[in-house]
Amino acid sequence: MTRAFLRNKTYLVPLLLLLVAIGLNYYLQPNFFQPRVLNGNLRVMLPLMVLAAGQAIVIIAGGIDLSVGAMVSLVNVTLVTLITRESGPPEMLLGAGVALLLGAAAGALNGVCVAFLRLQPIVTTYATSFLFSGVALIILPRPGGSLPRALTTFYRSAPLGIPATAFGIVVLLLLWVLLRRTRFMQNLYAIGGSAAAARASGVRVALNSFFSYVAMGVFAALAAMMLTLSTGSGNSRLGDAMTLPSIVAVVLGGTRLAGGRGGVVGAVIGVAILTIIRNLITFANVPTWYQTLFDAVIILLALAGPGIVRLIRERKA
Amino acid sequence: MANPSTPPRSPAAPLREPVVSVRGVAKRYGAVRALESADLDIRAGEVVALLGANGSGKSTLGRIITGITKPDAGNLTIDGQSAHLTSPAHARRLGITAIYQELSLVPDMSVAENVWLGHEPMRLGGIDRRAMRENTAELLANFADVFSVPVTPDTVVDDLPPSERQLVEVVKALAWRPRVLVLDEATASLDSRQVDRLFELVRNWRDQGMALAFVSHRMEEIFRVADRAAVLRNGASVGEKLISETTERELVDLMTGGGELAAMVLQERHEDTAAATAPVLLELEAFSCAGVEPLNLTVHKGELVGLGGLQGQGQRQLLLALFGAATHKGSVTLDGHAVLFRNPRQAQRAGVAYVPGDRNREGLLPIRPILENLQLPGWRDYGTPLRLRQARTDANAAVQDLAIKIDSLDEPVANLSGGNAQKVVIGKWLMREPRLLLLDDPTKGVDVNAKAEFYRLLHRLQEQGTTILFHSSDDSELLGLCQRVLVMQDGHVRAELTGDTLDKQHLVAASMGAGVAVSAP
Amino acid sequence: MKAFISRIPPAAVALVLSVLLFFAGGLVQPDFLNAAQAINIVRLAAFLGIIAAGQTLVIIAGGEGIDLSVGAVVTLGAILTFMVSGGNNEGLWLAVLVVIAAGAAIGLVNGLGIVYIRIPPLVMTLGMAGVVQGTILAVTRGDIPGGVPRALANFVTGRFLGVPGAIYIWAVFGLAMWFVLQRTRYGRELFAVGVNRRTAALSGVNVPGVVILTYTLSGVLAALGGLLLLGFTQRVFLTLGESYLFPSIAAVVVGGTVLAGGRGSYFGTMAGALVLTMTESLLRAMRMGEAYQLIVFGGILVVLLSVYGRQRQSN
Repeated sequence: MTRAFLRNKTYLVPLLLLLVAIGLNYYLQPNFFQPRVLNGNLRVMLPLMVLAAGQAIVIIAGGIDLSVGAMVSLVNVTLVTLITRESGPPEMLLGAGVALLLGAAAGALNGVCVAFLRLQPIVTTYATSFLFSGVALIILPRPGGSLPRALTTFYRSAPLGIPATAFGIVVLLLLWVLLRRTRFMQNLYAIGGSAAAARASGVRVALNSFFSYVAMGVFAALAAMMLTLSTGSGNSRLGDAMTLPSIVAVVLGGTRLAGGRGGVVGAVIGVAILTIIRNLITFANVPTWYQTLFDAVIILLALAGPGIVRLIRERKA
Repeated sequence: MANPSTPPRSPAAPLREPVVSVRGVAKRYGAVRALESADLDIRAGEVVALLGANGSGKSTLGRIITGITKPDAGNLTIDGQSAHLTSPAHARRLGITAIYQELSLVPDMSVAENVWLGHEPMRLGGIDRRAMRENTAELLANFADVFSVPVTPDTVVDDLPPSERQLVEVVKALAWRPRVLVLDEATASLDSRQVDRLFELVRNWRDQGMALAFVSHRMEEIFRVADRAAVLRNGASVGEKLISETTERELVDLMTGGGELAAMVLQERHEDTAAATAPVLLELEAFSCAGVEPLNLTVHKGELVGLGGLQGQGQRQLLLALFGAATHKGSVTLDGHAVLFRNPRQAQRAGVAYVPGDRNREGLLPIRPILENLQLPGWRDYGTPLRLRQARTDANAAVQDLAIKIDSLDEPVANLSGGNAQKVVIGKWLMREPRLLLLDDPTKGVDVNAKAEFYRLLHRLQEQGTTILFHSSDDSELLGLCQRVLVMQDGHVRAELTGDTLDKQHLVAASMGAGVAVSAP
Repeated sequence: MKAFISRIPPAAVALVLSVLLFFAGGLVQPDFLNAAQAINIVRLAAFLGIIAAGQTLVIIAGGEGIDLSVGAVVTLGAILTFMVSGGNNEGLWLAVLVVIAAGAAIGLVNGLGIVYIRIPPLVMTLGMAGVVQGTILAVTRGDIPGGVPRALANFVTGRFLGVPGAIYIWAVFGLAMWFVLQRTRYGRELFAVGVNRRTAALSGVNVPGVVILTYTLSGVLAALGGLLLLGFTQRVFLTLGESYLFPSIAAVVVGGTVLAGGRGSYFGTMAGALVLTMTESLLRAMRMGEAYQLIVFGGILVVLLSVYGRQRQSN
């Protein structure tokens, strides 16, 4: 009974890894836990965490989405177009609403292609990323735009001494707890585990798959909102570099790429691990030219970790 | 033929209106006419068996009744009302549920999650996991004493052996509270105790008013559990018989259209006593692997030795390990030489061949041409660049030899019928002229005519001096073909049956571990 | 109509499509339609085609096979050639050896990680891409000394009978790939491994060996692609290979090789490379803003995929 219970908590090993990484970070950077520094780290992590959460959902259902970065860019430029420095609450609400709808629409496009037309996810979402990038470029040909000061300040703030972004992470995790309890999420796990079995059990595979991509779009929109609050401006290429890290974070967090196992908790932990590794490299005084290499090797080792452990265990048997 | 443990229901009660009624259904898949005109009634309080050889359309009919397939013609009525089933879910909502062979379980999920997938109990807007567990435990209690491993609501399905997974499928169907239950080859992976329990439950459900349809290849089971038999041949209904008023022979005649009883070749036991004095081909000492306890075994050249016992007792693991597909310990001597196969390639080079039971997942490459399937183990013999013409000639020879019905060597093997596809799997290995042939339940899902051909092939191979180690879950088949049967249980060889002890009673007893020790190791 | 189209070999359709696009280009931009332009496009497609050769093998091998390190390895190949040859023709041969060795080493690591440590190919090759990029940065520190050997540049860009060397090279490549896939034991076993690894293993195929060899070849082919690309661009920069990565995957898929594995051909990839390059050239010739280029490119890709890329429904 305990085995089944633990088996589902795929984020335990990543959590351990994270604690070790935090420990090392604290060792190299003693002021790690100071509010200013902590807040700085969290601000960087939050948008990617939200994005990775959406990616986790899609991957659990057996798919993958390579257009997420472009989606983030698209929503970002839309936001700075609708909301300017002088905007008041009505415009902000409108902007948020449009952003969410836009994300959902983009996700829906992916969903139609992958779930209903049954196109291959990797190449299809790669194709749609071009579409989204193109539209983003039309909306905002040159980087620019700005947000009301109040918003960007809020993102940096620490109400009651706790960083606003920390609240964001908590809200994200709560959202996941609620989502996990739904039949929709249970269906996604089933589809990712065995689409044939899910179908034979009466689960509407195409429809649920479709909505996993729509959910991804909504999460991408949320991530874009966080990112826009963070940077305070718009850029049609802003989110592009987030796509591959979102996938790495999900895998680092214990979610199986083939689907059927894992969760958002792991994805959030995965983003934290990635960010802290980058910190470690900076603070370990690794020469600039070697930083990318170190980063890549460490990530590769982290990804290989579970496999190597399994190999050793099998050799011993 | 075993006696039914309780007599089937007598037809004294007047025939009720059928719950599900099918008339004149037809279905074609591309150029293939799976069903011409089939009729069937499924009545409450009755078990109707659906029989037919491969190609008879019985599986298609089953799929139509349970909503998986839509018929091209004909109609289906439920409680007298015309119905058009759009999906299995729709059929389930109308009370028709099917039990298939382990098709609908998600490996990573627990038993409870699988059983309630699609209709989880809800509470406060979310899944009520406690209720899920409790309900599942209740359902599992039906099989509590026939599980060979512990099965709880939280057990991960992937950890269960095939027989227990099949029982989870049964439990899953029950969770839908069906009025009509269709069992399609549902007993294939179960051991005899589990089959007994299932049939006991089936009879209870029947008496409580459920309408049951039972599709099976096993005549013996049909006579145990069914009240009525409906026979299909070549896509059409050819007759119905009450079980109490018919015989196996009569049903088989209906299935095959009369004529030669190719079906029951089981009686053709090959009386070959010379084998025992032939030289030893294979000698195992303290041989063990995962799932198999250390055993000793001697097999003579030209022998056809059977591996029997309940499902999943180590027979498959033994064969795979002998083929080098699993790690093992102990010594293996082949034709006087000590050998150690670390992988199938090495085994193949030494003249060993393995024919898997799950041909679609382990024996064939469905989308590749027949030529490639036949030559897969042997491309290294055709040089670089590959001498394709030679390869085709050799492949054609094998096709002739085994009488495989194909259009061309280049068509995908998926186009072939079950029996022909199985011949390709065997042909692939026979082309390498193995001296030791390991067969792992090769006749599962093969129709009665193809089985007969297969048995004749085995006899021929024996005459040519091939040594055969043959695992089958079909007791009658094993007893009918082999001179010697090793019965395995929990990875041990419990008994070695020959001569006088080579009968069903001894086989079953040994399967259960009840000692009938005849030269047990 | 769609059923009819999907029964024609995808390679043929892609080829026809390229020709149609070419003439469409002529309608929009009259000076587009000339032999020089056609040759130019085929030449551009050649590099994509060569780089996508390894990707073809990896994808046929199935098991969710994909090689995301191709972009980085191409860049590495170009940079190594640049540095090792120092711009001298004599150094070129040494450069070829070094490039092959480097590509093989990277591919081998990919293969080992995927087969023995069982890291999913997407993740493994993605990780290696980062390692390769990091290595390039660490070794060159952004400043890359060296040169392009004259012989290489001539070989690639020089013309014989009016046709650039690159196209001949690609043709030879195509024949070699056909030979490997259709006339060698490795090729037959590769398809088997792509369809079903278990069946292949139980039929005596050395599955780990085939998979590792495939990724190793992919590395070698990508590195050689980088070497040839250098002969064409005649300059190196850190993101040289990046823009070839996803197009290499798209070319393979558009050419009819399914990502599930077990089926496909290099001719398909060649046709796919032609279509993609043709589309890109057409868009550029139409002088569309970058934004519209992106949108149209993505749209065409989706359309092509919906005709050829459809997955079989799991039964």
